[in-house]
Amino acid sequence: MVDATTRFFEDLDRRGYEPLLAKTSGTLRFDLHEGAHTTHWLLHIDRGKLRVRQEDQEADTVVGTGPRLFGELVSGQENAIAALLRGDMTVLGDLRLVLQIERIFPGPPDARGPHHAFQRRAA
Amino acid sequence: MAGTDTVRILDGNTFVVSEDTGDIEATPSEPTGLFAIDTRFLSKWVLTVNGERLNALSYDDLQYYEARFFLVPGMATHYIDAKLSIIRERAVGGSFRETLTILNHDEKPVDLEIRMDAASDFADLFQVKDEILNKKGEIYAEAESDRLRLGYRRGNFKRETVIQASQRARYDRNGFAFSVHLEPNEQWETGIDVQTFAVGPGGRDLRMGLRTHGVERLALEQDLQQWIDKAPKVNSEHREVCSTYRRSLIDLAALRFSPLSLGGQTLPAAGLPWFMTMFGRDSILTCLQVLPFAPDLSKTTLRILGALQGTRFDDFRDEDPGRILHEMRYGETAAFEEQPHSPYYGSVDATPLFVVLLDEYEKWTGDVALVKELEAECRAALKWVDSYADLVGNGYIWYERRNTDTGLENQCWKDSWDSISYRDGTLPPFPRATCEVQGYAYDAKMRAARLAREFWDDPAFGDQLEREAAELRERFNRDWWVTDGEYYALGMDPDGRQCAVLSSNIGHLLWSGIVEPDRARKLADHLLGPRLFSGWGVRTLAEGEVRYNPIGYHNGTIWPFDNSFIAWGLRRYGFADEAAVIANGILDAARYFDGRLPEAFGGYPRDLTKFPVEYPTACSPQAWSTGTPLLLIRTMLGLEPHEGHLAVDPRLPVGMGRIEVLDIPGRWGRVDAFARGRVDLHKLAAQ
Repeated sequence: MVDATTRFFEDLDRRGYEPLLAKTSGTLRFDLHEGAHTTHWLLHIDRGKLRVRQEDQEADTVVGTGPRLFGELVSGQENAIAALLRGDMTVLGDLRLVLQIERIFPGPPDARGPHHAFQRRAA
Repeated sequence: MAGTDTVRILDGNTFVVSEDTGDIEATPSEPTGLFAIDTRFLSKWVLTVNGERLNALSYDDLQYYEARFFLVPGMATHYIDAKLSIIRERAVGGSFRETLTILNHDEKPVDLEIRMDAASDFADLFQVKDEILNKKGEIYAEAESDRLRLGYRRGNFKRETVIQASQRARYDRNGFAFSVHLEPNEQWETGIDVQTFAVGPGGRDLRMGLRTHGVERLALEQDLQQWIDKAPKVNSEHREVCSTYRRSLIDLAALRFSPLSLGGQTLPAAGLPWFMTMFGRDSILTCLQVLPFAPDLSKTTLRILGALQGTRFDDFRDEDPGRILHEMRYGETAAFEEQPHSPYYGSVDATPLFVVLLDEYEKWTGDVALVKELEAECRAALKWVDSYADLVGNGYIWYERRNTDTGLENQCWKDSWDSISYRDGTLPPFPRATCEVQGYAYDAKMRAARLAREFWDDPAFGDQLEREAAELRERFNRDWWVTDGEYYALGMDPDGRQCAVLSSNIGHLLWSGIVEPDRARKLADHLLGPRLFSGWGVRTLAEGEVRYNPIGYHNGTIWPFDNSFIAWGLRRYGFADEAAVIANGILDAARYFDGRLPEAFGGYPRDLTKFPVEYPTACSPQAWSTGTPLLLIRTMLGLEPHEGHLAVDPRLPVGMGRIEVLDIPGRWGRVDAFARGRVDLHKLAAQ
């Protein structure tokens, strides 16, 4: 089974474009540390156009975290800004890129969204 | 909260609140301290000389970022013949620095033991009023040979205070001390540097790469001077108008805040000291107030709020796609999700007001590029208004928090728990809607229609928005009009029952333009009538309503910012004289606060108290109170961008004399506006 992180990046690469990032350009490298082993994901953003590589190359922003937490971030179970404030995720370089990419992480899987009154009555 | 004898200095979101001696001894009732990124980094900072506490002779707030304290040893009864004086000078700017100078006035030499007790509880700003008994992490103190390190650790969350003196000191875990020998008339001096750290794993600071608007004292001084030089000049025969304007301009400079994600650009934070952070509503309304004087703030506010616009459903944060944030915080409770401010989205007015600000900003500046840059954000905001906000499905913006533990119950500007009530005083169920927000939605659609036609090359969208706005206006005027009172209801419950109380919110409706012209006269009469108008300003809730209380936070006090928008609304419908009455009342009130309007003051009749009774509040200066005199000046002068020019149509009260505003920036370059007081307020009141 493919993990959430791989699914997330493969999906970005396949989509190739994200309108929420239309004003964003830059590269982010995600370093997922587990013991002595680090997995790298490199994301190129060019005004919304996306390209993903699994490479350890220089980037404008380097995000460091554990693979488990990152899997939870990209599946909406954890929130990236809170993780950043907690120190569970570190950022080197341009923080703005992280705040932009964070917006395409999904919400919590159990989120219900607005309680529309007509839905409630129907329930 | 902190009493009036506390001294506050700040830079960005680093600030120090202390006693008038400069000492800090934090308790829940006296939340003093050194704060940065929503965390207290010093909760104890007590200076003693030979074991004795010091007394204040005087202190000066030199600038918003620096203060000076003159102290002597001993108790108040016998300090007159003190042989020693102590001067503490301090400034914030990135870090906190204090210079300690001790002068011996005696004819004999003295040996002194000078000690500073230092400690920190690392309280989250949200906890400073609580007795903190069970911090979940570990507090530590490490004395090194040349510094004292105070710290707090909870998992990877680490905050540290590092204290270093320029003179040799003996550091221990509770502070540091100096032994000093002073000959007659000799003086001794040391600098003390206190640095705050938000350390991540690997020792990197969370704020690394962030430029504040200057860290050196000199840089701060230059920055303030530039800020003042760049703003228009206001001259008046009415001395207080000038000093109030200047006070506002400086306070606005102090309130500039650089969020972590904006690379040093600034926007107005909501208020000092407890709200030195981004608030969607407060930042937008302040930008609207100060547009003629400081248009750059709008640009950064729109950009940052757009960059953090909601993209998904998150019930804890009350986030929806397209929604503009309510509040952002950086402290421990946000980090560990004990509070939802990472960021929290529970506000229903920030989203339509975002669109309103963008249009108003373009009218003043002609900055078409920003209108194009933020097209997608505007469309998302408008979509939120029509879809996610319409919880009842009848074409209005409603609110009901999904975060029932720590979310906000009332998501309009009157956000206290009892601010929205029926006529009998009972509170309506959820979802709730309030009138002014429907006005903002109308205004947002009308303004976005212009943007769509002129800049987004989408006239069809423009037509659609205008059609929707017209329908909203018709629907609103049918559903919200209180027939037996001839005004609009404050709120509505999900069954369509009106909260039919008379409130200041009707003034915002005038500003939004949703009011049918033949009903505007009635609203103006109410706003200037004895139930709402106190003589100083318009009360939040009318006298005679069940929940009316002259010192009820949103149920009877007078909010200067509220009045500035009411005055703007009155002018929009042609009631220039009535607007001048309100402007005059609020500017008169400002005199009693040295030109610094408080968040709110009591709704007592002016002829009863003779002076405005300040609401006991924690927050001063507050951004939208600071912006109030600027919007009132705009309103009295009738400054309005019109087809690329600045139209001026002054209506000033006679007592104002002559006012000139020079160098008003905008798409026209810079122009001047002049006015002379001609409105006879007494005649108006007699009508």
